[in-house]
Amino acid sequence: MGMKTRVAWTTALLALAIPAGASAVKVGEPLYVKAKNTRVQASPSGSDNAVAVLQPGERVTWGGADAKHKQWHRVTTATGKKGFVFQTNLSTTPPNMELVTQGNGTQQVDPKKFVASGAAVKALSPGAEQYGKDKGGDHGKAVQDIKALETLAKSVSTADIAAHVTAVGLFPVVGASDTVAKAGTNKRSGNR
Amino acid sequence: MMRTGWKVLALVGLGALTASCKGFNASSLTRGENILGKLSAASAEAKTCKKLRAAPSVQEEYALGGALAINYVRRGGGLLLDGPNDALHRYVNVVGKNLAAQSARPTLEWTFGVLQDTSQFNAMSAPGGYVFVTRKLLQGLENEGQLAGVLAHEIAHVTLKHAIHQYGDAKVKTCELVTYGEAVLSPTAVKVLSAGRDGDGTLDLDQEPGLLGHLSEKTIDLIDKGNAKEQELEADRIAVELMLSAGYTPDDYLALLAKTKDGGSTFANHPGKDERRRNILAHVQALKQPAGAFSGLATEGLRSPPLSPAFAAVRGGNNARGVAKDGK
Repeated sequence: MGMKTRVAWTTALLALAIPAGASAVKVGEPLYVKAKNTRVQASPSGSDNAVAVLQPGERVTWGGADAKHKQWHRVTTATGKKGFVFQTNLSTTPPNMELVTQGNGTQQVDPKKFVASGAAVKALSPGAEQYGKDKGGDHGKAVQDIKALETLAKSVSTADIAAHVTAVGLFPVVGASDTVAKAGTNKRSGNR
Repeated sequence: MMRTGWKVLALVGLGALTASCKGFNASSLTRGENILGKLSAASAEAKTCKKLRAAPSVQEEYALGGALAINYVRRGGGLLLDGPNDALHRYVNVVGKNLAAQSARPTLEWTFGVLQDTSQFNAMSAPGGYVFVTRKLLQGLENEGQLAGVLAHEIAHVTLKHAIHQYGDAKVKTCELVTYGEAVLSPTAVKVLSAGRDGDGTLDLDQEPGLLGHLSEKTIDLIDKGNAKEQELEADRIAVELMLSAGYTPDDYLALLAKTKDGGSTFANHPGKDERRRNILAHVQALKQPAGAFSGLATEGLRSPPLSPAFAAVRGGNNARGVAKDGK
């Protein structure tokens, strides 16, 4: 592929380890998943079956890093399922998002800020579109460009992202699908 | 009571005819105490405008972001978009959405676009998850890590809501000018602004595209003056976190910084390269955790993937839409 692993920069940095220690989370304490379709794997591997698929903001209990595969961390989900999540997909703080999924599967909405749940998947807003049309000329053309771009962007699914990540060797964070089917075998698309 | 006074003064801005009918009584202007009284009331009322600095609703943010995006695309000469399945845009959105999914705002409808602009090495973002890069910038990139760095920096500006701060300034300023009769807005725009000021501080911009246009253009004026230095350093820190989370080596971010100038283009207001580099290195140190504590900092297996073959489009000949015509 022509890509290469560069370690010089980070190696040099890590040799200077002076831990910050702030907001340290210990084994048995909670962490939060970052990405959509986070796969909780049966073993410390990106290619095994998932025992659960979590969504952004869901809380897990941290069980520490796997002894051999240190970037896979043991977790227990809110429903008691045990498995492994990739290190960088875990965070000590939940996302600051408008719509988060609770551990029991319900979605928490900030009623003041999130006027309607549909806003989470909204395209060019009606007001913005009208503004562009009213201005006319290049503004009107820009409206058409953006609407076409948004259609394209929406068609880029989590499956597309996961496939690219696998192809170029990036970290397995975004899951292909919101089901627990084996990685790479799920045919669903459009799960963003 | 306050709302009434505000409307009167706003109508003054709409024209003398309306103003004279709606309480701007010429005879009262001869009485100094009334003038002072009006000014005093207006001053008190203007103070309430600060309420509009409240965090916008998500719908308000999408409306603002959409209006800003329209202006960015217009100024960038349109998008380098070749049909509904354009390979370049699909690739840029795969890279960008992967990073955004790991950000603090994973549920925004993230949209990444390439502007035709071949004259400016530039990238920009708008609230709601719009990120744009110029063709000129993409032409200078050597690998996917550098592309990820550009996109991550802009994603960071969105998650940190930097433009929202400038929008807040624009809202408050507009409100104050209307209060003092120095801004011209339509009655419906004044009504929406008034409702926001007298409510929770948020605005229903989809109801009033004219007000949306006014506020978005004022916001762009502020954005064009550049983000505060600390905002840029903050965006650098979050960008490197996103790259480490996704598995890109931060070396590519530093290489990207080396390509920017310490003056010129949008980066003119950015801190100097050396300061940015020191800031990033210090931040990576700060991410480390003591033994036994959870650390999300990846240190092994970081990659610098090559650019997709789809990237050839940015280096090809002139697009059918012609050359860029940057509006700056």
